[in-house]
Amino acid sequence: MIRSLGIANIRAAMASPELIRDFIISILISLALVAAVTIGLAVLDRFFTLRHVSIIYLIPVVIAAAKLGVVPALIAAIGGLGASAFFFYPPIYSFLVNDPEQLIDLPLFIFVALVINQLATNLRRQAAIARQHEIEVQGLYEFSRRLAAAHTASDIQTAIRDHLVAIIGQRTIFFETSKHGRVGPSLSAQDAVPESVRRETEAFVSGGKEIGGGIVVDGGQGHLWLVRPVSEKTADFGVLAIDLGRQSKEAGEALRQRVNAIMADTAATLERLDLGQAINAARIRSETEALRDALIGSVSHQLRTPLVSILGAATVISQAPANRDNGRLQSLANILGDEVERLNSDVQDLLDATVISSKGVQPNYEWMEAADIVNAAIERRQRLLAEHKVVVDLPDDLPLIYVDPILLAQALGQVIDNAVKYSPHKSSIDIAARANGVSVVLSVKDEGIGLVGEEQTRLWERFYRGERHASKVTGSGLGLWIAQAFVTANDGEMEAASAGADRGTTIFIRLPASEKPAEDDE
Amino acid sequence: MNNPVSTVLIIDDEAHIREFLRAAFELEGFAVQEAVNVASGLRSATLTPPDLVILDLGLPDGDGIEVISQLRRWSSVPIIVLTVRSREREKVTLLELGADDYVVKPFGIGELIARVRAVLRPRQIPGRMDPVVKSGSLEVNLATRAATVESKRLVLGPKEYLVLQILAQNIGKVVTRQQIMKHAWGTSQLDNTHYLRIVVRKLRKKIEVDSTRPRILLTELGVGYRLAS
Repeated sequence: MIRSLGIANIRAAMASPELIRDFIISILISLALVAAVTIGLAVLDRFFTLRHVSIIYLIPVVIAAAKLGVVPALIAAIGGLGASAFFFYPPIYSFLVNDPEQLIDLPLFIFVALVINQLATNLRRQAAIARQHEIEVQGLYEFSRRLAAAHTASDIQTAIRDHLVAIIGQRTIFFETSKHGRVGPSLSAQDAVPESVRRETEAFVSGGKEIGGGIVVDGGQGHLWLVRPVSEKTADFGVLAIDLGRQSKEAGEALRQRVNAIMADTAATLERLDLGQAINAARIRSETEALRDALIGSVSHQLRTPLVSILGAATVISQAPANRDNGRLQSLANILGDEVERLNSDVQDLLDATVISSKGVQPNYEWMEAADIVNAAIERRQRLLAEHKVVVDLPDDLPLIYVDPILLAQALGQVIDNAVKYSPHKSSIDIAARANGVSVVLSVKDEGIGLVGEEQTRLWERFYRGERHASKVTGSGLGLWIAQAFVTANDGEMEAASAGADRGTTIFIRLPASEKPAEDDE
Repeated sequence: MNNPVSTVLIIDDEAHIREFLRAAFELEGFAVQEAVNVASGLRSATLTPPDLVILDLGLPDGDGIEVISQLRRWSSVPIIVLTVRSREREKVTLLELGADDYVVKPFGIGELIARVRAVLRPRQIPGRMDPVVKSGSLEVNLATRAATVESKRLVLGPKEYLVLQILAQNIGKVVTRQQIMKHAWGTSQLDNTHYLRIVVRKLRKKIEVDSTRPRILLTELGVGYRLAS
C-alpha cells in the first residue's frame, strides 16, 4: 500500500527515490479520483441539471485525506474545485467563476482535507499501537507457554533470550550464574562479550553491585550494553547483557526502561514458576554427580590399593631365590595374580559404568593401527586365554582407524572375557580384523553356549545376564553394556551372531575407517 | 647389575606397598630409602641422592607430579611412576615432565624390575659407549647409523631410521608419540601422528617376524612406543 504522506514527511520523502515515487503516485491517484468524479458528473449532466457539483468533489478529497495523506488531499481539493469551475460553472471551459459564493468552497475543502487527514492519522497510529501491543501480549503468552514446558535451565534461558530478541530486536546474551560467584555465558558462548560487560556481570553475581534495574555500560567501539539481572531481587536467575548498538546515552536509557518493563513481567512469571528452585535443583544435581564421582573414585582407590600389595607381595615371595624353583609356589602365585587381575577389572568395570552413566564417554581420538588394539587386549589376558586355542588373524594392510585406542581395547577385552567365560576349555577363540568397504571390523568368534531367544537382543542391556548360565558363570552383566557404550562413543557399532544353543557366538565391532590419511612423503 | 650398591628411594604413603617394594629391591641388591609424602620424598632425595626413585602419584600432601617437576630442576635421577590404568593423558604428562617410565598398578614385581633395568641402563650416546643396541634379532648401530636383523643389513628410509634411533637410544623405555614426532619430524608436525603410524608399520615389516604381532617394536596404547629390551 502507498505510504501516507504528511507535511513532515515531505522533506524526508525528497531524500529517498522510493518515497518520491510513492509521493508522485499518490498525487496521480488523487488526480485520477478527481478525473473519475468529473467524468461521472459529465455523464450525469446529460440527464439532469446539476447545480452544486462542487460538493461531489468532496468525495476524492475525503478519500485522499483518509488514505493518501494531506498533500494529495489538498491537491484533490484544488483539482476538484478547478474541475468544477472549468467544466460545470459558467462560464464553462474557463476557470473563471461568476458566482462569488462558490469561492467559499475553497477554504471549506481545505478544512475538510486537514481535519479528515488528522483523524485518519490518529486512527492509524492507534491501530499500530494496538497491533504492537497484541504482538507483545502474544509474545508474552508464547513465552510463558515455553517457560511452563521448560525442563532444563538451558530451555528457560533460551526462552528468555528469544523473548527479548523478539520484542526489542537486539543481540542478547544470557549469563548463567552460580552461587559461588561463577559466571558463564550460556547458549551463545561463541559471541564475543566486551571485558567491561563481563566485569559488570560478575559484579552483579558476586554481590558487589546492588541488584536492581540494571545499568548501561560502554562496551567499547561506541557500543552500549545494558546489563541487568533477570530478576530485580536476585542474581540467581542469571544476568542478561543486551547489545544496544551505537546509540546515544539517552536512547540507551529509554531502551533500558523498556527492557525493565518487559522483564518485570518476566520476573513475575519466573517467580510464579519457581524457577529459582528449578535452577537450584539442577545445580544440586550436578553437585550430587560430582560427589558420586568423587565417592566412586575414592572407593575404587580403596579397593585397588590392597590389590597392589597382594599382587606385589605374592610375586616377591614366588620370585625370591629360595622359592624360584618351587613349582607349586609359582602356580599359587599365578592364582593370586589371576584373582587380583579379575578383581581389578571388576573395579574398572564399576568405574567405567559410572563414567558412562554420569558424564558420558569422552574419547581421545588418534590414528591407530587396529592390530595394536587387538594385541593390547590379548596381551592383558594372556593367562586367561591360556586354556583356549586362540587364533589371531590380522592382515598387515588394514586402513588406519581414528579412534580412542584405550576405550576400544577395553571394549574388545570385554568381548574376549565373555568368549572365555562362556565357552569350554580347549575350544577355539578366533580373533580377527578385516577391512570391509569403509569400515574395519573386529570379530571374536567362540565355540561356546551361543545365543537363543531373547538373549539375541537383550545381551546388550545393562545388568542383563542370560538365565541358562547365570548360576554357573559369575559376572555383573556390565561387560557388553560397557563395550557397546565405548564402541558407540567411537562411532562404531556392535553386532552379535549365533547359530543357536551351544553353537558358538561371534561378536563384531564395526568401526568407520576414515579416508586413508595422507602419507608423509619422505 | 649394581656395583657399587645402588640406592632406591620409594615414595609411597601405603606401608604395605613400601614393604613389598623394599623386599623386592633388597633381593635385587639395592639399598632402600623410604618416604611417605612429597615433602619427605624431596628432602630424602636432596640429603642422600638416590640412583633411582619409585614414585606413587596419590600422596597425602600433594600430587606426585610435583615431586617430578621439583626433582627435575636439579637432578636427572631415573624416576619410575606407579600409575593406574585408563589415565593415558596423565602418563603422557608425567613422561613429558621428566619421569622415565611407569608401571600400571597392580603389577607383578617382575614387570617393575624389568622397567628398573631399562631405566638404569646407561644412556646410549654415540662415541662414548658401545654404540650397538640389541633388541631381539635387531641390532642398531648408533655410530654408523646402520641396522641389521639377523645380521642382514636393513634399508631404511630417513624417517624410519630417526624413529628407530630415538627408540634405540631409550631401549626398554617408553617414548611418547610426541617425543618421537619431535625427534623425527620437528615441532611443526606434532599433530600428524598418522605419519608415525605409517612409518612404524613399514619398520615393523622390516624388523618383525610377524609385523601384526610385534615382539620388538611394541606399542604402549595411548602413550607411545617401546623397543623391547
